[in-house]
Amino acid sequence: MGKLFAVIRREYLERVRTKWFVVATVLGPVFFGALMILPALISSRDKASAGGTNILIVDATGVGLGERVASRLAGGIDGGAKAPPVSVVAADAVAPAESLATRRVMSEELKGYLVLDSLTVAGSKARYSGSNTTAIFDMQRIERAVQREVMAMALEKNGIDPDVARTVLSTSVNVATERLTKAGRGGSGTLSFIVGIAVAFVLYTTIFIYGLNVLRGVLEEKQSRVAEVVISSVPASRLLAGKVIGVGGVGLTQLGLWLGMSFVMYQARQPILKFFGAAQVPMGLPDISLGLGLIVFAFFVLGFMLYAGLFAAVGATVNSEQEAQQAQMPVVLLLITSIMFLQNILTQPDSMLSRVLSMLPFSAPIVMPLRMTVAPVPPSEVAIALLSVSLGAVGSVWLASRIYRVGLLMYGKRPSIREVFRWVGQK
Amino acid sequence: MPTPAIDIQRIVKRYEHHVAVKSLSLVVPRGAVYGLLGPNGAGKTTTIRMLLNIIAPDEGTIQVLGVPHSDPSLVDRIGYLPEERGLYRKMKVRRVLRFLGELKGMSGAILDKRVEMWLERMQLKSGGEDWGDAKVDELSRGMQQKVQFIGALLHEPELVILDEPFSGLDPINAQALKDTIVDLKKQGRTLIFSTHIMDNAERMCDSVCIIARGEKVLDGGVAEVRESHGARMVAIGLDGAPSSAVQQVLADRSLVARTDESNRYLEVELAPNAKAPQLLTALVGAGAQIERFEIVRPSLHRIFLEKVGATNVETGMSGHG
Repeated sequence: MGKLFAVIRREYLERVRTKWFVVATVLGPVFFGALMILPALISSRDKASAGGTNILIVDATGVGLGERVASRLAGGIDGGAKAPPVSVVAADAVAPAESLATRRVMSEELKGYLVLDSLTVAGSKARYSGSNTTAIFDMQRIERAVQREVMAMALEKNGIDPDVARTVLSTSVNVATERLTKAGRGGSGTLSFIVGIAVAFVLYTTIFIYGLNVLRGVLEEKQSRVAEVVISSVPASRLLAGKVIGVGGVGLTQLGLWLGMSFVMYQARQPILKFFGAAQVPMGLPDISLGLGLIVFAFFVLGFMLYAGLFAAVGATVNSEQEAQQAQMPVVLLLITSIMFLQNILTQPDSMLSRVLSMLPFSAPIVMPLRMTVAPVPPSEVAIALLSVSLGAVGSVWLASRIYRVGLLMYGKRPSIREVFRWVGQK
Repeated sequence: MPTPAIDIQRIVKRYEHHVAVKSLSLVVPRGAVYGLLGPNGAGKTTTIRMLLNIIAPDEGTIQVLGVPHSDPSLVDRIGYLPEERGLYRKMKVRRVLRFLGELKGMSGAILDKRVEMWLERMQLKSGGEDWGDAKVDELSRGMQQKVQFIGALLHEPELVILDEPFSGLDPINAQALKDTIVDLKKQGRTLIFSTHIMDNAERMCDSVCIIARGEKVLDGGVAEVRESHGARMVAIGLDGAPSSAVQQVLADRSLVARTDESNRYLEVELAPNAKAPQLLTALVGAGAQIERFEIVRPSLHRIFLEKVGATNVETGMSGHG
């Protein structure tokens, strides 16, 4: 046990001491922080934008649609914003008015101009030209304003009281989604969607990065020829176990630090958002139960073991980084499969594809936690998935230790698949 | 009598395309310095790896220090320096050594003390200089070799196995290694090293085993081996050029089989039935001014060349063993 511990400690400490680890650990939360701040910044920018009002309305309708749209863009009768100017022209004078407006936009006096004519009143179309056509929120506001006022005019024409028409058209129904599970209410649907993606993504990257790390560690021992000394003191299987546990520990440490720092940032979100000048957006953490947390943890540990074993086996068969690049492809593809169907699983968590992927040993560590965060999963399926990943992990580590034992002392030519299989059976 | 340090009985190791070791048996007594000699590819490293239980023999048994070689307690009693050397390049020397010590079951203050002692002894720490805190990468090759030796000896093993320890060593480090080997022998430890440099083996080993193509060619004490393979050569030093009478004696095929003239003396191989005293008498009778007359035991080098060169294992005609 002492020797296993020595191997684990070396693998762990030598990695935690590197600059790479420190940088990645600090950058992780910065990335998560950006995820938190950016949407807030964007949505507050949307409100503050003057792009929707600093325009000219060229009104060739002859029925005063321009004024109405302008007043709606200003926020209705009691809106605070400045209403955009309206230039009322005759139907045949649109072209010169347009070229004048174009010049004003080009000299940056205006953001753009909106042309309303008889076609608009007929409910068919309006035109907008400007420098800010990519500002989706502004365009949506203008479009909505024109649409509403055209509809209101149509209603009024059919004898509906203008005030009633206005009220009816101002109705806006917001459909709030809420997830219901057997355990009760579980936050909004969108949120568990995002959390599902985040969990899958973090699991995927961590398994990927640290799996490759195991490969590189094995390769380093082979290349530096230190393997033989070590293996004369510890059995290969224990060296491999120590490596997997040590590297896995580094991964867990990093995940833990990330989660901890993100949590602190979440707690301190108000001052942070204020600092960046962004208004606070209501944001709730989904209720992730302790049970779900533990299951995700179990999937991470087992999934990591499974892939670390495979990566270690690859590392033992190669002699250089270049060879490793090639040889790791099958394992990497196996891992990518689970993230490839992300969208299908998110939108149809109970489909046959999702269910099968969430129970196959190679994809279950990522797909099952993803499924569980977006939809209730029968406990039997979770149990099957855990069992299959456990078996996969044990099998992979066993296979890896057989290959590792022989491959570690093999230098020179890269072995063929056939040879590697013979190693497995070798005494 | 204690059990031998190593008792190998008829081990065989087969690979797909060749047999690396064929029914090899050898016994190494405790406290001996034992040389495993043979050309490249003779099976030395394979034998050593089987000894250390890194790979398993297909047939045969190996006892090390009185227990089967697979006994897990053995690893802490053996120190091993492999032929392919290397250390964790990015690690600091002191940490590498501590790790290697831990792998041999050491820990705590004893380990720390032992590391410092060896660093000083190998001159990796002296005066204001301390290479213990440097990364392995920053060390010269010679220094890395020293660190490697320390790693093999740190836990004061009863049995030390060195695979080609002299390869890649500069003369200074080679001497340091020889001194260390002598020290270890004085402390009663058993040493096995493989080499193809016969000169080192001859000077340092008590016993040797020559293997070629996976088979034992001969083994035994160095003195016995030389004895049994020689006493047919005589080195003769003469004052001045040999006279015609002396030349006649040397040309007598009933006494002398062959003469090699080197710069300062003659090397003479006696004829099959001749004895050295007969030659001496004849030379004195011919009036030779003899400065030196010495029966030369053949060097291991010569025996090695003779034996390994003459061994034609492929056609089934092996010499000894």
